[in-house]
Amino acid sequence: MRIAAFLSMLFVAAVAAAGPAQTCREAPGGSGDAAAIAAAVQKLRTLLGESQRAALDKPLTFDAAIHWSNLPVGVVPRTGLRLGDLDAAQSAAARAVFSAALSACGLELLDEVRLADDWLKAYDQRPIGWDGGNYYLTVLGDPGARTPWMLQLGGHHLAYNFTFNARLPGATPLFFGSEPIRFEIQGRTHEPLDAQSHAMSKLAGAIAGLPGARLSGTFTDVVKGVVMNGTPGQPMTGGTDTGFPQSYPTGNVDRGVPVGKLTPAQRQLAREAVESFAAFPGNAISAPLLAAYLDPQAFDQTFVGFAGDTALGAKGSYVRIDGPRVWMELVVQPAIAHPQELHYHALWRDKSSDYGGEARR
Amino acid sequence: MMRRAGPSLVLALLSAVAQSHPAPGSMLKIDFRASDVQAEYWVPVSELDFARAVDTGGSFADYLLRHVSLESADGARWRVRVAGVREARYADHAYLVADLRLLPPAGAAPRAFVLQDDAVTHEVRNHVIYVVAMRGAGAELLGMLQYPARRLEIAAP
Repeated sequence: MRIAAFLSMLFVAAVAAAGPAQTCREAPGGSGDAAAIAAAVQKLRTLLGESQRAALDKPLTFDAAIHWSNLPVGVVPRTGLRLGDLDAAQSAAARAVFSAALSACGLELLDEVRLADDWLKAYDQRPIGWDGGNYYLTVLGDPGARTPWMLQLGGHHLAYNFTFNARLPGATPLFFGSEPIRFEIQGRTHEPLDAQSHAMSKLAGAIAGLPGARLSGTFTDVVKGVVMNGTPGQPMTGGTDTGFPQSYPTGNVDRGVPVGKLTPAQRQLAREAVESFAAFPGNAISAPLLAAYLDPQAFDQTFVGFAGDTALGAKGSYVRIDGPRVWMELVVQPAIAHPQELHYHALWRDKSSDYGGEARR
Repeated sequence: MMRRAGPSLVLALLSAVAQSHPAPGSMLKIDFRASDVQAEYWVPVSELDFARAVDTGGSFADYLLRHVSLESADGARWRVRVAGVREARYADHAYLVADLRLLPPAGAAPRAFVLQDDAVTHEVRNHVIYVVAMRGAGAELLGMLQYPARRLEIAAP
């Protein structure tokens, strides 16, 4: 193992192991302020070599924006700045970028998803790149300008795509997942999607008896995720957001139950589920989006539905929040390393402001 | 504003790689010929199993013929014939592959039609059918279908 990668892994493990006494929602986190993030990016740049800066900085184009994936790096190669290659000073500067952009929950998710990949690494026989070092940071556009720019951070089971100076506040697409669902490293148990899976499960359980709450059909993955390129006989490529822009369900058939028809207690669970997904970006990024989603009129028109097991204990279990703008979904899949076990995929999209509303074909 | 760069010709899409992702898509590979249209319909067994659990009758060919139909723009029906079915693997996934003959109504050119297709998507909500036109060694994406959409206008590139 390279020394830098080993140090990076230890750093992540130490941060996660130190752990907050409080929940991440109560802990202070990054503001998500564009100027603060830009300043942290600039400081990181000064510590990078030429090839590293070239990996970090890319023009903001449609193709670059949609080039994110939840799939491992062995399936979808990334071109950004690889976190596992950074030395201690560079890692600290990169973490300052993350700390400026992400809430405490967002930072914890980053650490725990990377730890999960470190946990998986022992089972990566093929190999497909399960490794906590295989997470990448990319800056699209110029953070020092007033024109739109993006911060992309992710790897296997994680894609943060934040857009600044855009027509709309852009926190999405935001993919997060976890395999295994729960794991132990150095005596500490980690469950990266604990808050979101429990919030979605409680919501599903609360609405399960309502007519129309159960969605028809089978779910083997999130509905609006990435897609692979390929034709039989040729190698597959892609695995990025080439399905964008997405089309979404319309009308009121097979979308679940409108929040406007829920009891106050059920409505509160729907609110908590939305907030759990929106808890990852810094407040400046997520606050205007949350305000739009929880606006009473918009919230009343938001559908909540589920399929499978409300306890999320079986493959194919699925919970979705589908509003005028918000799209949040969580699905239970068989695990890859141990197919008899389960893992989560979750996705937050905004029907108006994915990529800040700036991406056009 | 970001805009897509590059040519419109793109490779066809499938939804996953088995090594990392358990939910592959289907692909309808269309070969436009002088007097008819031939196609290969690649359907992943893992996803087909869910669909066949709720639509159990007949063979795979019978199932496809219940879920796939074509018509011209004026509504005239095309004939769909399953010439054969075989097993295949791609990216570590098992597929059933149907060789289709798509026969236009008398007098209609075999260059454009409306595809009505909800194979697998009638049950699997995340499933995507990628419809591609074969062009030499490559393929051009013509469109995708995902529930609840089941109608796609197709024209030879």
